[in-house]
Amino acid sequence: MSRTELAGGVVEGTITVDGVEVRYFDSVADHFATGESSRHPLVLVHGTGGSTRAHYGYLFPLLAGRQRVVAVDFAPPVPTQGPLTLEHLERQVVAVLDAVLPDRPVTLVGYSLGAVVAAAVAARHPQTVRNLVLVAGWMKTDAHQELRNKVWQRLREERSQALGDYMAFCAFSGPFLVASQALGDSSPALTAFEPNAFTDVQMKLNRTIDISGLVPSIAATTLVIGCTHDQMVPKWHSKALFASIPDARYTEITSGHAVVIERPAQLVQIIDQFTDAPSRDAAGDIVATARP
Amino acid sequence: MNPSTEPQHPGTADVEVVIIGTGFGGLAMGAQLKRHGRESFVLLERADDVAGTWRDNTYPGAACDVPSHLYSFSFRPNPEWSRFFSPGPEILQYLRDTAHAEGLLPHIRFGTNVEDARWDAAAQRWTVTTSQGVFTGRFLVTATGHLSDEALPPIKGLDGFTGDVFHSARWNHEVPLEGKRIGVIGSGATAVQLVPELAKTASELVVFQRSAQYVTPRPDRAYTESEKQLFRRDPDAMADHRSEIFWFLESRYAERRAVPDILDKARSQALNHLERQVKDPELRARLTPDYELGCKRVLISDTYYPALTRDNVTLEASALDHVEGSKAISRDGNTYELDVLVFCTGFETAEPPYARLVHDANGISLSDHWAQGMEAFASTTVAGFPNLFIINGPNTGLGHNSIVYIIEAQVDYILGALDWSRANGNHVLDVSARAQERYVDELQQRSDGTVWLSNGCKSWYIDPRSGRLTLIWPNFAHEFRYRNGTFDSAPYTAAETSAAR
Repeated sequence: MSRTELAGGVVEGTITVDGVEVRYFDSVADHFATGESSRHPLVLVHGTGGSTRAHYGYLFPLLAGRQRVVAVDFAPPVPTQGPLTLEHLERQVVAVLDAVLPDRPVTLVGYSLGAVVAAAVAARHPQTVRNLVLVAGWMKTDAHQELRNKVWQRLREERSQALGDYMAFCAFSGPFLVASQALGDSSPALTAFEPNAFTDVQMKLNRTIDISGLVPSIAATTLVIGCTHDQMVPKWHSKALFASIPDARYTEITSGHAVVIERPAQLVQIIDQFTDAPSRDAAGDIVATARP
Repeated sequence: MNPSTEPQHPGTADVEVVIIGTGFGGLAMGAQLKRHGRESFVLLERADDVAGTWRDNTYPGAACDVPSHLYSFSFRPNPEWSRFFSPGPEILQYLRDTAHAEGLLPHIRFGTNVEDARWDAAAQRWTVTTSQGVFTGRFLVTATGHLSDEALPPIKGLDGFTGDVFHSARWNHEVPLEGKRIGVIGSGATAVQLVPELAKTASELVVFQRSAQYVTPRPDRAYTESEKQLFRRDPDAMADHRSEIFWFLESRYAERRAVPDILDKARSQALNHLERQVKDPELRARLTPDYELGCKRVLISDTYYPALTRDNVTLEASALDHVEGSKAISRDGNTYELDVLVFCTGFETAEPPYARLVHDANGISLSDHWAQGMEAFASTTVAGFPNLFIINGPNTGLGHNSIVYIIEAQVDYILGALDWSRANGNHVLDVSARAQERYVDELQQRSDGTVWLSNGCKSWYIDPRSGRLTLIWPNFAHEFRYRNGTFDSAPYTAAETSAAR
């Protein structure tokens, strides 16, 4: 284990899980931990090929003003342990929870593959995960996702020049790409994302996800967030999670899969207002997002 | 149709709500009162037209820095906006149309300057004395804006200046400017729009810059006929466009919060813009700010820097110090012979002029209450000033999003307050001092770590007397609506109020 203090009072630490170092970030300062508006710490779990910085670079500092925030960076397990499994990633999240927030209830937030991991952790650890936010998550990989994943894999194997554009095309919504250009933001994080060996095994894992047996046992007060224009995890997956989790409410953001880049402020708004009063909207509610 | 009750004597009217101002704030308040079936109100307007800031600011190049579809009322979307950023006259027309279409003209008293307003505790009413008689009302709403009364720095010798002098918000259209030697005092949001226009025809233009500004690209463009037709036929498409703009701007709050990666990116975007447009390293150095981005309003222009590189334009990198006859002398000691001086020196903001006119039951002015800087509960009500609501008051300004959004949240709060009061026997709404203190303390805490309070930051957002951030809402715009857009009676009920005393 190690701990280093970064700017703004954030601590970066590592713990060892299955023989590999797993990095985490902790905002430490416990705002609103007690009192009328008490809030559980938020724990952020990133998606495929991501990291705290890549997926939560915006959300982490802005949510940290409202309550303590902890984020996990997934680490590739050692190859001798066989293929990457969902359980590897679950153990990494649970190990960080145990080390950083022992015996504390939390609000767990997962995005994309991170939402799959978060849902599984929530199902198995109901005492710890009191509130759950699933952003662009899914429970069972379907034919549409398999097809996209297959094209990705082929382009990757062929070292195709088209891979970067294909990923941008899948990740961002059309309206966002057009609007970014109109608003003069010439670089909506389209910088070529370089997949690595860890991305490859995560993409492989993505082809075989099935937690549909586990999801109905989730006891947490849950918010499911779907993305209207998502082409990677289309919103029907979020609707399926919403339908399967007993205490779930659903809302939708007008965005592609890359919601953490397209609508980060709206994501902060929705997560913040949920953590302020998780049961404000009743289980089963489809909540309309506010029009500005 | 006259909404007021029978006058007790000429020039006097008693109504439920007296509103001061007919800019975005006053018109939003009036329109929503009408839409909620409340007819007993007057809008007092000192000028002879609506639109406030957009009526007054007629300088060449006047335009809005917030995209048109967001800088308009959510309840009155306008498919006809000609451009992404509206020219000033189009906003003026939009507000005139709003006043007419919402049925507000019969409620407006033009040419009516408010001279005094006091709370009458016995009658539980506000008495508002104006140049056109006395108005009384259970509620008083000030909607006089942040940018209504121009600020003029005291300049030695200005009285003896041999040429013409005026403020940008009081433009003198009688003065011909072609071929003239013009001095522009200030380099803020107004100057950035005005300088490129004046530079086209002035024989010589001198810009007196007290401090350099961050300027970013202005992605302006005309809407096509097809886009406007889509907005007419499919209002949802217009609402989606508005949402896109809102959330794009909202994400930029992270720059004000000084999130390192995001602030770095914004700063380099501004400095790259300067580098692209100004090749002369010496001029570029004078245009490079020495404080953090976002401390002052971030300006947007594609034409300001190029104008400064023209042969007939001089950037004087120090303030105007004094005037001797036809000579304007800068703080750095440079002298310029000039025919016209245009003051682009902004507005009275730290101490809003209405604060000197509004008095509590004991005759103490709001201005005296606010001797150490203005503050209000929910940015709207002030302890000791019952049934008073301030639109665009303390901590309502935004550095990153549209003020119209804030105004609409405040109007919703006020409507809720009026409904609650009526449903509770015309309960007088006096907010508890403790609730106000808690609210203000939390805002100040929330301001820590923002660029507005960063080292070397001096701006009109900060009260010079206390060093506190009193003008800016130091958070997301959506958080303002969440916190302050829905009335809650708790801080106004007797138990809470007495507990605070």
